[in-house]
Parts: sequence; C-alpha cells; structure tokens
Amino acid sequence: MIDNAIDTAKFIDLTWLNVSFLFIVGFIGGLVSGFIGSGGAFVLTPAMMSLGVPAAVAVASNMCHKFPKAMVGAYKRYKYGQVDLKLGIVMAASATVGVQAGIKIQELILNKWGEAGSNLYVSLSFVAVLLIVGSYVFYDAFKTSNSEGVDSVPKLARRLQAINLPPMIHFKTANLKISLWFTIPVGFATGLLAATIAVGGFVGVPGMIYVIGATGLISSASELVIAFLMGFGGTVKWAMHGMVDIRLTLIILAGSLLGVQLGAIGTTYVKENMIKIVMGTIMLIVAASRGLAVPQYLNQLQLMAVDKSTLSILDMVSFATMCLALAVGAVIIIGSMVKGKRAEYAAQATESYEHV
Amino acid sequence: MAAKTELKKKKIMMRAMIYGAITATLYAAVFSFANPITELFARGGLYAALPIGTVFVFSFAHGAFSSNLWSLLGIEAITKQATQRKQVSVPRAIQKPRARLRMSA
Repeated sequence: MIDNAIDTAKFIDLTWLNVSFLFIVGFIGGLVSGFIGSGGAFVLTPAMMSLGVPAAVAVASNMCHKFPKAMVGAYKRYKYGQVDLKLGIVMAASATVGVQAGIKIQELILNKWGEAGSNLYVSLSFVAVLLIVGSYVFYDAFKTSNSEGVDSVPKLARRLQAINLPPMIHFKTANLKISLWFTIPVGFATGLLAATIAVGGFVGVPGMIYVIGATGLISSASELVIAFLMGFGGTVKWAMHGMVDIRLTLIILAGSLLGVQLGAIGTTYVKENMIKIVMGTIMLIVAASRGLAVPQYLNQLQLMAVDKSTLSILDMVSFATMCLALAVGAVIIIGSMVKGKRAEYAAQATESYEHV
Repeated sequence: MAAKTELKKKKIMMRAMIYGAITATLYAAVFSFANPITELFARGGLYAALPIGTVFVFSFAHGAFSSNLWSLLGIEAITKQATQRKQVSVPRAIQKPRARLRMSA
C-alpha cells in the first residue's frame, strides 16, 4: 500500500495525548450509554471538535462508533433479559421519520437565521427539553426512592394502555399492550431530538417509561436497539459522503466497548430508579452547560452585547460542564456498582457464616 | 466445585487472551497503515462499506475481549433481574347503558 500523505484539512494529526483523551472520553461515554441507553455522544462530538476535527468529520466519526457500541450494549443487556426488541424496532421506525423532520426544521432555520440562529435553536432546544424532562425524571426518581424503590406504571401510561385503538401491539418483554398510535409520537420525538441535539435517548427513554409504560431497565436497554438502528442508517449516509475518520472511530470504540459492557453489567447491581437518577442528573447538568452557550449565539445574532473574553470563558466553562455531566454520571454508576458488590459480598459472608 | 470454578476461570482467561491478541493485531494492522487506510475509507460512495465492515469486525473481536476481561476481573452481572413489573390492572372504559328512545306518547 502506498503511504500517501493525509488531507490535513479533513483529518487531524494524532498525538498520544489526543489518543488518550479520546480513549478515556470513549470509555466514560460507553459506560453511561451501557447504563442509561444513551449519552456520551453529546460530549464526544464537541470533544473531537476541540482537538481541531471539522464538525462534519466529528459527527460522522462519532456516529460510526455509536452503532457498534450500541449493538454490543444491546446484546449484553439482551442476555440479561432487559431488551424488548419489538419495542426498539417500532420506536426506531418512527424515529427515522422524526430525524427527517428534524433535519428539515434545521434547514429552514439555517436558511432564515444562518449558522448562529441554528446554533441558538439547538442550544435552546437542549436547555428547554433537558430542563423539563430531566427535572421530571429526577423528581420521579426521588419520589420512587422515598417509596423504597417501588416502581409502578405511570398514570399516563396506564390510561393510554387502557385505550383500545387498533392496531394494538403486545410487547412481550416489557409485558405491556398499547396502541401503535401512542408509540409513534414517542419515536418521532426521539428522532426529532436526535436530529437536533444528537441525543434522542434523552426523550426516548423517558418517553418509553412515562408514555408507553415500560420499566426504566427495559426502556434504557431498548434504547440501545434504537441507537443501533439509527446510528447504522446515519453512518451509511455519512460514510457515503466520505466523512468518517476511521482512526478516530476506532480509538473511541476501543474505550467505549469496554465502557458499554461495564455499564450494562452495572444495571444488574442497582435498583431500578438508579437509572432515572443518573439520567436526570446528566440531563440537568447538560442543560446548564448548553445554557452557558446561549449568550454566544445571542451575541452573534446581535440580540445581546457580550465582550469576547467573557464569551471565551463561557465557552470553556460550558465544555467543562458537559464533561462534568459525563463524569458525574460515571461516578454514580461506578459508586453504585461498588456498593452493590459490597452488599453481595456481605450477603455471601452471612450465608456462609450461617452454614457453619 | 472449586475445581470447576478454576476450570471456568482458565477458559475465560484463554478466551480473553485469544480475543485480546486478535484485537491487538487488528489495531496494529490499521494503525501501521493509518494514513492510506483513512484516505481510502473516506472516498465515499461504495467505499462506505469499508469503515462499516471494519467497525463490525472490531466490535466483534474487541467486544468479546472486553466481555472476557471484565469476567476475569470478577466483574459480572449479579443476577438476572426480573425486569417485568407486576401486572397492574388497567382501568377499563366505563360502560354506560345505551340511551333508549321512550315512546310513551
């Protein structure tokens, strides 16, 4: 093979520092994805861009690592009996339509208000959706932990399940029956959010819990099926445009495949509502992070006057907060796994003591 | 019982070593020719099959290695959890008696 020089405008030079950084972010992103079904992507794309990777290459390379990671995570959780394949496929089908609608909206905004307008729309969507959904998920997790972890079918889901509107679908693993017409808006919203903020799971998982009525475990596991199917479709599109930097993809994949399996194992160590706690926490911190990016876009649109030094500080703090969101999620997951393992050891010790 | 556990551990270690070696070889192969491979894989069109096929192969080898590595380190799923909720009776639609026309005139 001829060792031709690389197009430096499209592909960055890799240093050991870059490689280590991407590997670690990939690992933590994988850990969070394996546990809550999504996440990681929202840090990886800006992380790559901070290394000088062009936006399109960062998105494409991230997506190319996302679908095999989701596939491995879904397989692992399928073995634990947590994946409802049918639910994942039905949701992914309507999410695909949502993605197309999301792209159209983005194009409209881009044509009317330019790049700053589009960025502002993305950031505001981030803040609004994550603040509302994240607060509710967090509140619900808090309520469930107060009632000693007893998780019941949410009221809305119970009402919707009672409506007999054909075609009714029975989701065997999730153990529920609901009209197809109620799954479509959830899937559509997942796709719409995926096209806007690249993390559809922040609506998909709560949607499956509160609208469809699946448990947190099944929702987060089935979200991995959606991520695989949508990620695969997106990768085909980006790869056909030649935007995938395989080196970046493989480095992130090296970390994330280790992380996603650890996250999947972690779901068997914790109580059901821990998934909600991690998800709610990450969503609220990410909302704060994107909120810090809003003044920059308002300034670009000349709707607000902010000096350059303040904007650069805000930008840095915003990125750091985003990394913090992922780190906090990882700490909670690993912390609860350690706690779970200790409890298991303690139970084993008591058992062997009683047998003596 | 202890011998059985030891045998299982050895099996896991063997698998981790084999898949680890395969993964290391794959990574070494790609990164030894990183520049031409990156250029080739980014040509677009039908060349899209190359990065997609590559990540599938890597995820199989590296995925199997990771799984065995965590098992070797004693990090395994605790129990198969009961993921289904207790069946809660869904409220049924209230059936009102049909309105009837009274012909009392």
